[in-house]
Order: sequence, then C-alpha cells, then structure tokens
Amino acid sequence: MKRVNENEIFIRDFFKTKQKILKGLFWEKRLFWAKVLIIFSFIILWLRFFHLQVVKYSYYLKKAKERSVISYVIRAPRGEIITSDGVVVATNRAVFQLYLDPELIKDKEDEILYKLSKILGEEFGSLKERYYLAKKTFLGRVLIKRNLSWDEVAKIMVRRYYLPGVKVEVESERFYPYGEIYFHLLGYISKITLEEYKKLREEGYSMEDYIGKIGIERAFEKILKGKNGVIEIERDAYGRLGKVINRVAPIPGEDLIITVNHSLQVKAYELLKDKKGAIVALSPQDGSILAMVSTPSIDPQKFIDGFTQEEWRRINSSPDKPFLNRALQAYPPGSTYKIITAIAGLKAGVINSVNNSFFCPGYFKLGARVFRCWEAKGHGNVNFIKAIAYSCDVYFYTLASKLDIDYLAEISKEWGLGKTTGLGWSEEKEGFVPNRAWKEKTFKEPWYQGETVVMGIGQGYLLTTPLQMARVYMAIGNGGYLYKPYIVKKIKSLNGNITNIDPQIEKKLNLDPQHLEWIREGLSEVVEIGTGRAAFVPGVNVAGKTGTAQVVSLAMKKIKALEHHAWFVSYAGMSSPQIVSAILIEHGGHGGSAAAPLARELYKNYFGIKEPEIAITETNE
Amino acid sequence: MKVNSIKEIFRENFWGLFVVFILAILGILNQWIIAETTSILWKNLFWHLVGLISLIFLAFLIDYRKIPFNIVWYSYLVLILILLILFFLKKRWIDFGFISFQPSEFIKPILVLLISLIASKEPNPYLKLKTLAKLILIILIPLILIFPTDVDYAFIMVIMFISFLIFIGIPRKILFSLIFIGLLVIFLVSPIIWKNLKPHQKGRIYGYLHPEKYAQTWSYQLNQSLIAIGSGGLWGQGIKGGWSTRLHYLPAKYTDLAFAVWAETWGFIGVNLVLFLYGYLLYFCIKISSTAKDWLGKYLALGVGLILFWQALFNLGGCSGIFPMTSIPFPFLSYGGSVTISLYFLLSLMFNVAFKRHFFK
Repeated sequence: MKRVNENEIFIRDFFKTKQKILKGLFWEKRLFWAKVLIIFSFIILWLRFFHLQVVKYSYYLKKAKERSVISYVIRAPRGEIITSDGVVVATNRAVFQLYLDPELIKDKEDEILYKLSKILGEEFGSLKERYYLAKKTFLGRVLIKRNLSWDEVAKIMVRRYYLPGVKVEVESERFYPYGEIYFHLLGYISKITLEEYKKLREEGYSMEDYIGKIGIERAFEKILKGKNGVIEIERDAYGRLGKVINRVAPIPGEDLIITVNHSLQVKAYELLKDKKGAIVALSPQDGSILAMVSTPSIDPQKFIDGFTQEEWRRINSSPDKPFLNRALQAYPPGSTYKIITAIAGLKAGVINSVNNSFFCPGYFKLGARVFRCWEAKGHGNVNFIKAIAYSCDVYFYTLASKLDIDYLAEISKEWGLGKTTGLGWSEEKEGFVPNRAWKEKTFKEPWYQGETVVMGIGQGYLLTTPLQMARVYMAIGNGGYLYKPYIVKKIKSLNGNITNIDPQIEKKLNLDPQHLEWIREGLSEVVEIGTGRAAFVPGVNVAGKTGTAQVVSLAMKKIKALEHHAWFVSYAGMSSPQIVSAILIEHGGHGGSAAAPLARELYKNYFGIKEPEIAITETNE
Repeated sequence: MKVNSIKEIFRENFWGLFVVFILAILGILNQWIIAETTSILWKNLFWHLVGLISLIFLAFLIDYRKIPFNIVWYSYLVLILILLILFFLKKRWIDFGFISFQPSEFIKPILVLLISLIASKEPNPYLKLKTLAKLILIILIPLILIFPTDVDYAFIMVIMFISFLIFIGIPRKILFSLIFIGLLVIFLVSPIIWKNLKPHQKGRIYGYLHPEKYAQTWSYQLNQSLIAIGSGGLWGQGIKGGWSTRLHYLPAKYTDLAFAVWAETWGFIGVNLVLFLYGYLLYFCIKISSTAKDWLGKYLALGVGLILFWQALFNLGGCSGIFPMTSIPFPFLSYGGSVTISLYFLLSLMFNVAFKRHFFK
C-alpha cells in the first residue's frame, strides 16, 4: 500500500514538475508576443503622430489659424491726384461704414437685421434681401450701409450691446470732386471681382479691396494703391474675440501730380458737354497732356456711391458708349491727314516748290473713276499753301496718285500713326495704317492706286486717334520732336519725397526746314483765310487743319446719327506754339463749323483772352 | 541581508518608480495647462498625491501573496451589486456631491486580481475548460451590466480581459472556436446593436469613416483633436499657447482629449517623451512578469501591463484618428478621480510583485 502511494506521489510530482517547466517556457514565449504587440502598436502610433505633427504640420496650422484667428483688413488710403495748377481732383474722405459679421450672428440674423432696419429707418425686407445677396457674393464681413450720418452712428453705438456682430468703422473712401469732367482721364475704382482677386491675391489684395479701372486709376494702380494693413484677432469657439496677435499698419498710396491744367480741362468739358466727342490738348514742349476729355461721360463717384438700377442699365446699354475714352479711339482722320500726304509728297519730290500748282475743276479723274472735291465748283488753280488753306481735295488726290501706298504708309508710321503713342494706357487704340501687303493678305486682292488717292485725303481704311493726330501737329509745331504723351509728372511719397518723371522723346523727325515752313504757313492760312477761320483768336497765332471724315455714303446723309465726324487739329502760341489740341466731334458735321469754334474757345481760355463775342461766319469745311 | 535586499529592490525598480513619478508630474502639469479654474487643478493634484502615497504604501506594506481570496471575491460581489443598482438607475456615476465615483473604473483592478488568483492555482500551460468558463463568466457579468450605460468601456474591457486570458492560456482549439463563435455572434448581433446604438455613438462611427464630411457634426471632436495635434508641430505651441486649448475649440479637453492638449503644447517632442516613458512603463511590467517568482505575480504584472497598454492605445488611437473616438481617458494625463485612483491601485499591484521578489525563500 505504502509503496504504491509513494510511487503515485512520485509520478504525480513528476508530471507536476513537467507541467511547471512547460508553463515557464510557454510564459516567456507569450511575453515575447506581448512585447511584439506593444512595440508594433507604438510604432503605428509614433508614425501617426509623426504624420500629423511633422508631415502635415503646415496643413493643420493653416486650419487652426483659419478657425481661431480672424483677420480684418485695414485698407490703405489711396493716393491723391493733383493737377499741375494745384487742384485736387481725386482724394479720399472719411466715412462711417456699417458692417455685419455673419459668423457672429449665425442664428439671429433676422433679429439683428430687424433691429437695424428700425434704427436706419429702412424697410426690413429690402435690408434683408441686400444682406443675403451680399453675404453670398463676398467673403467675410458684409457691408450693410455706407456713409452713415452722425445721427445713425450715435443710434447704433448706444445700442451696441444688443447688436452683436454689428460694427461701425471709419474708413477712407475715394472722392472725385469734379465728377464727370475727369471721368476718362482719372478713371474710377470699383470693388475687386473674383477673377481679379484670384490673380492679385499674391500682391496683397483683399476681398474688400477696390481696384482702379481705366485712366490714371488703372495705369497707376500700383502707385496709388499703397499697402493694406491687417489686424489679426483671436476668436474662440463661441465666437468671442480675444487678444490682438498681429497688427500691421497700412501704407498709404503715393500722390500723383499730373500735367493737366484744371481750368483748361473744365473748359474742354464745358465745350463738349452735350456733344459726343473728344478733346485732347498737349504741350508741344514736352508732350505732356494738358487736357483730355471725352463725352458722354459718367460721374466716377457713382461707382462708389452706387448707381440706381435704371442708371446702371442706361449706362451699359447706351448706344453712346459712355465708357469709351474717345480721345483714344480710332476714327478716319479726314482732311487733318492731308498734312502727312503733303509731307510724303514733299519728301518724295513730287512737289518741290510752293508754287507748284494744280488745277481743281471740282473733280479728279483716275482711269474711269471720278473723285470729287468737297467744293463742287472747284478751286481753280491752287498752289501748296492754298491747297492746305482751303483743304482742296483735288490737289491732294493728284499728290497721292503720284505716291506709292507703301511709301505713304511708311511716312504715316514714322509720324506715329498706326501704333500706340506710348501713353501706356490699355484702353488706347492703335489706329490703322493700311499697306499693300495687308490688303493682299486680308482681301486677296491687289492694292489699287485709287485707294491711295482716297487715303491721300484721310479716308478709306485709315484710322487714327485724336491723340495720335495731336501728336502729328505737335511735331510740326515744335520742329519735329515726337514726344511720348505723358500725364503724371511727379510722384509724391508719404514722407514728402518727390520723384520727377521726365518727358520722353520718341524720335526727332527728319524734316527739311523749308518744307516745315511751307506746311506751317499753310496751317496758319487755314485759320487766317481758309476753312478754319472759326478758330481765329486775336493776339494768338493759331495754326491747324480742319477735317470732315465721311463715315457713310452720300445717300444716307440725311440721318443725323450718320453725319460726318468733325475734326480740328491745331497748335497755338504767342510766338512759338505752346499748346496743341485735337478736337473730334462724332457725327458733328463739318470740321470748320463744328470743331474749329471749340478750339477758339479753348485757346481763349488757355491764353486768358477776353473779347466781345463776334459772329463767326459759317464756312463749309 | 535585509538592508541589502532593500537596496537591491530600490536599485532594480528605481527607473520604474521614476517613470511613474515623472508621468504623474507631467499629468499634473498637463492639467495646469488646461485649467481655466483652479478647482480641477487642485482636485487633480489631490488625486495624484493620494494615488502616489497609496502606491508606496500598498507596494511596501502589503504582500500580494497574502491577499485573502475571500476579500477579493466579496469586493467583486459588492461591485457587481453597485453596478446592478446603477444598471437599473441607468447611470454611470455615483454622485456624492463634492466627488463622483465611477464604479466601472474599479472593475479593472479587481478583475485582474480575481483572474490572477483563480488562474494561478493551476500549474498547466493552458487553462482547464471549467476554469476558463468560470473566468469568462466572471468577466462578462460586470461588462454586461455596464454595457447599456458605457458601451465604449465595456467594449474595451472585453478586449483587455480576453487578451489577458489568451496570454494566460486558452487551449488552441477552444481559442479558435471562441474566435469563430465570437465572429459569428458579432455578425449576427451587430445589426441589432447598430439599431440600438444612440445617435452619438453611431455618429462616432460615421465621423471616423468620413472625418472631413462631418467636420462640423459627428467628427467635430475628432477634427478639432487632429487640428490641435497637427498644429502642435515639432516643438509645440508652448505652455498655454495652444489655440485649440485656450480658445475652447477642444471638447473634453480635461479627460478624453487631454493628450491632444499635450501634443499641441509640446509638439512631437512632447509626444515622444510621453510615448517613451509610457512605453518604458509597459516594458517594465513585462519585465516584472518575466522575473516574478510565482504565477500569481507573473499574471498580475502582465495583467496590469495589458490594461495600461489597451487604455493608452485606444485613447491615442482615438484622438489621432486611427480608431473611432472612444471616451477612454489617457492614464496620468487625463483628469478623473476614479480613473487616477484605479490607475495607482493597478500600479501598486505591479510594484508589489516587483518588490516582493526578494522575499521568496
């Protein structure tokens, strides 16, 4: 019994020990797997945090900033624009603007808008409509009302506590004191569009910015704009604003001093007011622009104050196209171009004396074609001076018929036609000078000499802008210096430093002094005895050329809208020329009667001459 | 002999204790960074101090080998009773006014003790079927009770203790059939569970699957957590400098997302520090489990290690978007009375095993 028991105990002990050893071995193996599990998990976690915090750091920082920092743009005041005689024509004024932050009034928009409508005395419905429309189109704050009165500001400020998300801010706003007079010259500013914003975001533009359109405002946008400032404020999860973490003061734009003579500009606008046309006046000494007016015009202030729907519709659909700066649009130059034909003729040696004369029977025959002179009964025998003075078409038909088109085109281009003048405004047109190659390419037809004849009196395919024509006469007036027209003469920075902008000469034209004298004499005769007598100013030497550009065939002459374009391009001065002007009246009729009297008024203003009104005898051309 | 062994104990466990101490300090620091009012800060400091003192006290003065089975068993039953009452009250907490007490937190140390005590009586490498059934029952009862009020916790505790049982030794055949049955049950039951999930629990799943789509709703929490962690960068945004923390964008920043605060404040460097310290603590548990001289000790040390591991994994995985967000606190860094006390209780069990190694004959 006893032995069996001992044996059993022994065997049991043996198995127990074996199990224990086994268990010990198993345990170490399992602990190994536990370690593997832990290490594997920790590596995953480590990689995940590495990914979040190191790889995607900037992404999440950006998200965090978008969420917890709200930044307000402080718009830089735009630079002022001042004329050469010291009149401020574009400035800024301080106004109170009422803003609403949609983020802060998420659930109670209607309530706040209702309260505001009561304070502002506006209809709730229209205010609400305006708010939701603006909220959709613009990011960030919504401008509820511009230019608050002191009374409204006071009413809002005392109720500020009940109006969360409502902000009244003082901002500087563009102000154009002279309205329509300067529209095409200064341009205007309007709120940045989404496409512009996408392009200009890198340059520091904000969604609430204004950007210059046309004229100086666009051409000198970079200088006038300045640099926006910013205030960054922390905003917590409940929309409460905390501390300011960053504040960058705005840098105001620089002021521009322009070459324009204010009283001349005002006069020019008065002269054109009810017409459709353009006046551009240059100084022959340096090519600076003394005045530039185009009508019909728009009040640039309206782009800030807002148009009524009716006004906006009218401006955009008007057949008069008030947005166009007509001084920079291309028109057929009519007889004002005869000067170029004359120069080409002189240079080519077709005529070599003032006394070379042609007989004008009232028409010119080339082959089977008959070209008419504007004076149906004819001018009789005309020499060079007389031809210019009376604008005899036959004389210039004859001259042109002896010239090659490519040569005429070359001379035209030499005098700055057919390309932009170097003003640097994107709205400026190039005009057009045809030549043989162009004709063949476009119409698959040869150039006919008859077309050269037509071009000799400034008709046909030829197109020039008033500014280009003014430049041609500038070069005649100053002895052949073709300046680039310019308008900004000084840039005044914030600390008072003035940068002068020097006039730039494009080229000195190669002109025979004898030829120049003949042409000048002819131009003087225009005003003395010829077609431009209406431009005569006592005590001032005015010399110029009228032009009547045909735009339609004779049969349709009855319709007013299709009358000829009236031109008068001239220079004037006491002894030497001091001012050049180009006047264009669209569908105005004859240059001598519609455009030349305006030049007279303009020069009277410029030279300060007062004289009793005398009846001006009407002339045809 | 005795002085020597005390020196020896200290030398061997110095780094383990040191890491715990540092983690406790980091936890206090983190709550200070989060705190807007001082009351939570002081409460947190209090719980950590109580925890640390009881850790030292329990680890030195009590011998795990002499814990009477009955006491553990009875406290288990009492806990079940409390959970049963809460089950019918549909509550998670017992509120004493000044403090609230979360009984489900105390399931962890008691279950670890109970499982280890029962399992260590058998010398076999694999548990006997009968014992296994008993243990599974012991685990499931409290978890079923907390399931309606705290799905996340119940789910994670299933993972904690089943993995513990697997390490203790479930026979292979039974393990595989259990996994098979488990998958089958999940497959059959999950539609029913899904239907009965509360909207916010469903939302967490949606939010996990499409964080960007539900950024303002279901995954708001996850999204804010990711922004906080990501914007911390390599060096962090500095003490009390984090936008997410300071400007109230982080929800549950005291508890579930306390680690996101840490990551935002100290950046990837700080995350590495905590991961390293915590990883060392887990390694230390496994080392103790390996060197312990009896099975009870080995089981206890591994059990504690596993609980700490899963808890950290689900918290970190949740706030960094690896797993769906669960409301599991991160040990040491998160605020919570019951959580902290339960944590130190678990640690004291593990250190007790470590210290008593030298008192075997």
